[in-house]
Amino acid sequence: MADEAEPAADDALLAARAGEGDEDAFETLVRRHGPVLLRLASHLLGGGTDAEDAVQEAFVQAWRRLPEFRGDATFRTWMYRIVTNRCLNQLRARRPTAPLDAVAEPAAPEHQVSPARTAENTAAVVALHAALAGLSPEQRACWVLREFHGLSYEDIAHTVGISHQAVRGRIFRARRYLTEAMEAWR
Amino acid sequence: MALNEPLDSEELPCGRSLQDVWESWDEGTTGKDPHYASCPHCSAALAELRALGDFVEQSRAAAPEPPGAPDARAVTTRVMDIVRLELRPGRRLPLGEPDEDAWIVEAAAAKTFRAAAESLPGVRAGSCRIEPLGAGSGTSRGPVRVRLAVTAELTWTVPRLADAVRERVARAAREAIGLDVQAIDIEVVDLVDTMDTTDTTDRRTR
Repeated sequence: MADEAEPAADDALLAARAGEGDEDAFETLVRRHGPVLLRLASHLLGGGTDAEDAVQEAFVQAWRRLPEFRGDATFRTWMYRIVTNRCLNQLRARRPTAPLDAVAEPAAPEHQVSPARTAENTAAVVALHAALAGLSPEQRACWVLREFHGLSYEDIAHTVGISHQAVRGRIFRARRYLTEAMEAWR
Repeated sequence: MALNEPLDSEELPCGRSLQDVWESWDEGTTGKDPHYASCPHCSAALAELRALGDFVEQSRAAAPEPPGAPDARAVTTRVMDIVRLELRPGRRLPLGEPDEDAWIVEAAAAKTFRAAAESLPGVRAGSCRIEPLGAGSGTSRGPVRVRLAVTAELTWTVPRLADAVRERVARAAREAIGLDVQAIDIEVVDLVDTMDTTDTTDRRTR
């Protein structure tokens, strides 16, 4: 939805070449999908070097695993899954899962948004990004994949590795939390 | 939180669950149910969700990259620096005469054969495997078999395409590498209207 059109057929060809050790083909894939994966990681981790590290490690892991990649999913979907898993692990390690109804913790410094970088952002947008920190890792992942990346519930279930029913619950709770957090901005 | 925990789907005063109302928004079915337009509770719930959606849209419009967005180019450079330390050259293939000790790695030969196939207009090469013809011969010297997968534009017919690619690969084996190729299998994966030729680095066609 929000992402650029996916040249899936050409991706499959390049992924096959990369799996056979063609590093030029892999570089094309990294350049093609890096920006959208960085957006995903930034939404999940709050931006900064953590997001860069997550995407970098995800691509290196992909390079190592490509010889076993059978193309059951598209390369893009496969990468979404690797990046999401890495981000979830990092979020889980960062702090214990906050119950949804708990008061949102003040955003950690890396979540905070410097006024200069976001001069063009409205205050509401800044508030929305800050509010994301109050979601549990899985709620955040499901909601971001849905709202910022336009994935279907089915694709989110595959990407996050939870059931369709669980995705529905996570997205509902995320929406409950975020509509409340953003109430003052309406 | 437990997976089997009942969803606190929160019933609205009209009896509808908030979760159902919001999911019908996802499915785009709110317009089909007259209840939504007439019910103040459902309307308010949908307005809340719509407002949240507006914030998301604002976020996209204000900054396609989220705050503190990282640099994609820097990440690509770092990824490729690591990848080049972890190359997968594949098996060694014998070059020249049986008593020589000259070899080429499979990845390098495959790169040459793919480029040879792509020197034809409207042809893209995918998987390329090269293996010794004698079964179980390991790294022993002897002729090899090439299997190459290609995608091409519809201006090609399959037999003409297979012949043309086979001819290019054979010539590259002979003239560019000096590899004893005795069998060339061409797999035509797909014929497409127009080839997406954007941003590939090593194309020589057109």
